Amino acid sequence: MQMDFHYYATYCAAFLAGYSHEESLDIAYSAQFVDECSRTLLAKIKGPLRAATTQLQLEMMDARTDPVGRQDITRIWSSFHFLPRDLYASKPHCSRLYLNKYRLICGPNGDLAVKTVELAKGRPLQSVGIAMHVLADTWAHANFAGTPSLVINNTNHVFYELFPEEDGFREKLITFRHTTSTPDDLENSIYTNSLYQRNENTIMNLGHGRAGHLPDYSFVRYRYLPAWGDYGEIIKDNPSDYMKAFTQMIRAMKYIRGEEKVFEKDVYDTEASGPWRDRIRETIEKRQLSACDDWRALGEELSGHTIDVFSTDRYFEEYMQSSKDEKDETFLGRFILGAIAHKGMVISEIQRSKNMLAGVARAGFFKRSGA
Amino acid sequence: MTLFQRIKKILYALLMIAAAIILVALPDDNALDIVLFFVSIGFAIKGIKDIVFYFVMARHMVGGKMILFQGVVVFDFAMFTGTLTGVPQFYVMIYLISIHAFSGVIEVLRARESRRTVDGFWLMKMSHGIINIILALMCIIYIRDTSTAVTIYSAGLIYSAIMRIISAFRRTSFILIE
Repeated sequence: MQMDFHYYATYCAAFLAGYSHEESLDIAYSAQFVDECSRTLLAKIKGPLRAATTQLQLEMMDARTDPVGRQDITRIWSSFHFLPRDLYASKPHCSRLYLNKYRLICGPNGDLAVKTVELAKGRPLQSVGIAMHVLADTWAHANFAGTPSLVINNTNHVFYELFPEEDGFREKLITFRHTTSTPDDLENSIYTNSLYQRNENTIMNLGHGRAGHLPDYSFVRYRYLPAWGDYGEIIKDNPSDYMKAFTQMIRAMKYIRGEEKVFEKDVYDTEASGPWRDRIRETIEKRQLSACDDWRALGEELSGHTIDVFSTDRYFEEYMQSSKDEKDETFLGRFILGAIAHKGMVISEIQRSKNMLAGVARAGFFKRSGA
Repeated sequence: MTLFQRIKKILYALLMIAAAIILVALPDDNALDIVLFFVSIGFAIKGIKDIVFYFVMARHMVGGKMILFQGVVVFDFAMFTGTLTGVPQFYVMIYLISIHAFSGVIEVLRARESRRTVDGFWLMKMSHGIINIILALMCIIYIRDTSTAVTIYSAGLIYSAIMRIISAFRRTSFILIE
């Protein structure tokens, strides 16, 4: 997902869940900041590097892909962008090495998604934003794993875009290219993806790189053959998934606010968004590279307030100028503690399933995070 | 492509250049035996690696069988290459030229596949494959004059090595996941 959903749509969902304009802005900022908080950024503000929630392109190009390096990559990407659906999934006749990767495949409505939301309850708004980012990504990034793997994340030439037409869908073969400098050509279904690499553990086989940005576009529907799917095709209906993500975020935030007693899987709040349903659907289905303007207009209409344009460094000064004792109480300090707590929870759960791909969360990792 | 992969590609290319220099500098059976030894070891490692990878991981992957087939064929090449020591230079040259031509054909097929699904990039692959095939044909034409054939073959090796080095420095697309 992109800024349009992580920032503006999250703002809308938070407001519909009952948060004030200011609170919704904080949640939305935190949700988007998950895509910004790299080690490079943390080094710049002198924050703890273990709180990284993403890796920059340059960081990834230099990332080690030996077992220790892969654990580092998996900790970040599985925790914040590709939350595993089922850490105890089974598949007959496969090796433990394969199974460990297979179990990290991301998807919505898993146990870890519930734990993510539960962990955010009673914590600052920054943790709520982090949880909403993770929850939303379980829909967009479904069927890919947050660990480098050819046998899980690869795709092949069977990749068709589906266009609704009368009773069914018209199919168009997708053309992929490897030029990141050229924007995706929505008109002609030409998208950029990462190169095919035979090496199982190369960084090029991380997440949905082989499917390009298709999972990040709310309007697109496509069918393809995932490498792990035993030749079974997947039809990915992003408009439907993004709507579910939006209504599940509202439900989750109502639970965090105490309006709902439990947060259950596969339960969505369609009531709060009901009056805006057609407008939301229209925004989600509009073919465009970024839906920021549409979501922003909706958010401003909902709350009657202007939504500030996202600016990464909004809270840098506050954090950098605070004394060591005060840092935890700053906006970014709370974000950092929330990120460490969430990452620690996910690593522990992966480790508990006897899967060492994310390594071990040492006691010191949680120190001060309150997890 | 990570830094390590780029270094690996460049080192492999340097090995190819070294093999070409050995062939030109020592145009006798010993030079060919040295090259055959390393080709055989290289093929064997690659073949075994692919076969093990298939049984451990790629067995459950769409298109994974291709990795097994490649592993078996490459390992077979390794075994065959290992038996060629002591065989007259003429036949060894035919074998090496065939491998070169075969790699050229594979490159052309890959380029055709890339052209089908990927915009751009396939041209370099296609020209590399075609030049490899042309060089192999020229070697066959001059096969009776072994030293000329060896020189052409060595030029082909150096050309392939240069292409590898160029591709190691090529910018590769990397999808920024958000």
